[in-house]
Amino acid sequence: MKIVVLVKQVPDSGAERNLRSDDNTVDRGSANNVINEMDEYAIEEALSIQEKHGGEVVVLTMGPSGATESIRKALSMGPDSAVHVADDALHGSCAVATSKVLAAAIGQLDADLIICGAESTDGRVQVMPHMIAERLGIAALTGARKLTVDGSTLTIERQTEEGYEVVTASTPAVVSVWDTINEPRYPSFKGIMAAKKKPLETKSLADLGVDASEVGFDGATSTVVEHSKRPPRQAGNKVADSGDGGVQLVQYLSSEKFV
Amino acid sequence: MVDFSLSDEERQIRDTVRSFITREVMPLEAEVLRNERAGAPAIEPGVLADLRSKARKAGFWGVNTPEEYGGMNLGAVMSAIVAMETGRTFVPFSFGGYADVILYECDEDQKQRYLIPTIEGERRSCFAITEPGAGSDARNIRTRAVRDGGDWVINGEKTFITGGNEADFVMVFAVTDPTRGADGGVTCFLVDRDMGWKSEPIPTMGQWGPASLVFDDVRVPDSQVLGEVGKGFPLAMRWIGQGRFMIPARAIGSAERMLQMAIDYATIRKSMGHPIADYQAIQWQIADSQVEIESTKWLTLYAAWRVQQGMDARHASSIAKLHGAVMANHVVDRVLQIHGGMGYTKELPIERWYRELRLLRIYEGTDEIQRRTIARNLLKGHVRLGGIGE
Repeated sequence: MKIVVLVKQVPDSGAERNLRSDDNTVDRGSANNVINEMDEYAIEEALSIQEKHGGEVVVLTMGPSGATESIRKALSMGPDSAVHVADDALHGSCAVATSKVLAAAIGQLDADLIICGAESTDGRVQVMPHMIAERLGIAALTGARKLTVDGSTLTIERQTEEGYEVVTASTPAVVSVWDTINEPRYPSFKGIMAAKKKPLETKSLADLGVDASEVGFDGATSTVVEHSKRPPRQAGNKVADSGDGGVQLVQYLSSEKFV
Repeated sequence: MVDFSLSDEERQIRDTVRSFITREVMPLEAEVLRNERAGAPAIEPGVLADLRSKARKAGFWGVNTPEEYGGMNLGAVMSAIVAMETGRTFVPFSFGGYADVILYECDEDQKQRYLIPTIEGERRSCFAITEPGAGSDARNIRTRAVRDGGDWVINGEKTFITGGNEADFVMVFAVTDPTRGADGGVTCFLVDRDMGWKSEPIPTMGQWGPASLVFDDVRVPDSQVLGEVGKGFPLAMRWIGQGRFMIPARAIGSAERMLQMAIDYATIRKSMGHPIADYQAIQWQIADSQVEIESTKWLTLYAAWRVQQGMDARHASSIAKLHGAVMANHVVDRVLQIHGGMGYTKELPIERWYRELRLLRIYEGTDEIQRRTIARNLLKGHVRLGGIGE
């Protein structure tokens, strides 16, 4: 089984993140860039399947040249190789354009299974697995908290607010995972040293047969036109208890629709 | 050109170890404090073994152990960097897959009985040279090993032996030829606990719990000699010298963790209407601490680099050890001071660091011994001023 894991480099969500003032895109230059946290769960799931069923795990990343660092880190966890789609024309791409590029890259990899995180911590749109599956004409099993592979049958437990749903599909398919699915492994010392020697192929838009006009700012179906800093937090309401503190609290919670 | 940067791999190893320590080890700190304050062992041996096993499963094992023994052989510099990360917590944790450097002198039979089981974590060693009458002046040891048929009979007492309470075998140094003393008259023996030596814990003001070891007619066969008869003293010096840079390395991690605590506290603690970080008295303590930490960092990495290059690292290690031990004590004192009364309480771990770090100025060569070494090297011309990396 050939598994492709989508890995995105994002600004560390634990540190301050900014948008660029010139074009409103994510400011990667000033950020501490890391692997999107949810993607580490996707990598772990792919490696677990590989350990049980054999096959190959390929990391696929679309991003600027600096994303190589995250790709190497992903490889140090255990995947066999990586493909990095990097092209200056990609800057400013929307989700729709991104899905086009990723689908084109996956199409060249002949994958049986595509695993990705359910969302990225920078965009948080949660649409990528659906869009890629639609473009490839294959099933999307999204929001998995558990994935079972039995031959060519994939079964997931889809996490919902009320509980979970059991959903199945045949390979090839796209599976997106939440952080409840496993506990990602640490890259081992050996893995870190070995990652440098693993194949990493860089592809341009031309290699994928995607026209530059379909991506980046030119091909964007949506564009961020303006941004501003979140206003500073307002001081909270203080409830002075003069015998009716409890009532006041309930009234507040009710007015804010917390209860 | 001098290059101070880490390679991508080195940086990733550091970050991964930092992540492991933060996520897996630091959460045990509250338990360690509770246990110690109740007079119990800091951490249950089973918990520590599980942690080490988890680390090994994750591939953190044998940082500086040769690859033929399953280690990573990443070298002294990487070992120092890893030690800086493990030093960030006071939980007594270290990665497994390690054996004392002189155990690699084992013969083939000894390797199976001592070296490999130690690397695998199945056996625990301790290194015993210090005696009640011979600490820093190790040449004056009195423990005797006397030939009796094909055996050796060992009599004497060792003290302040790290790990002596837990070890199941000891690398003990005894005089085998009093006429030659340290110059060919000291031999190292590998002695199992069940061969007859006894240990007694020595209570201390910190977490370090050394032991006194008593050898009373302990009989060992010739096959227990490590290396060659009469060649023990150079082995002891190698043991002492090789890993000395690891002490300031750990101290760097501890000091950086504490300094961050002080920075965090100074920015939220208000006095006279302002965060205390606004006051110069606090700022200078923070600045001085970082200057000392950074200087220790480069001295330590330089000493480790010399070890890794196969160069004589004794002088550089003495400088790093002396500076690191003094630095750690300065920093913890300032951090305690910045925290004021809270720093002195047992609600925070600072007082614990304070007691623990005091040891650094004493063990593995006191400040005074390091200064003596440094001064002698200069006065005798073994080391010349004015060099860079030579």
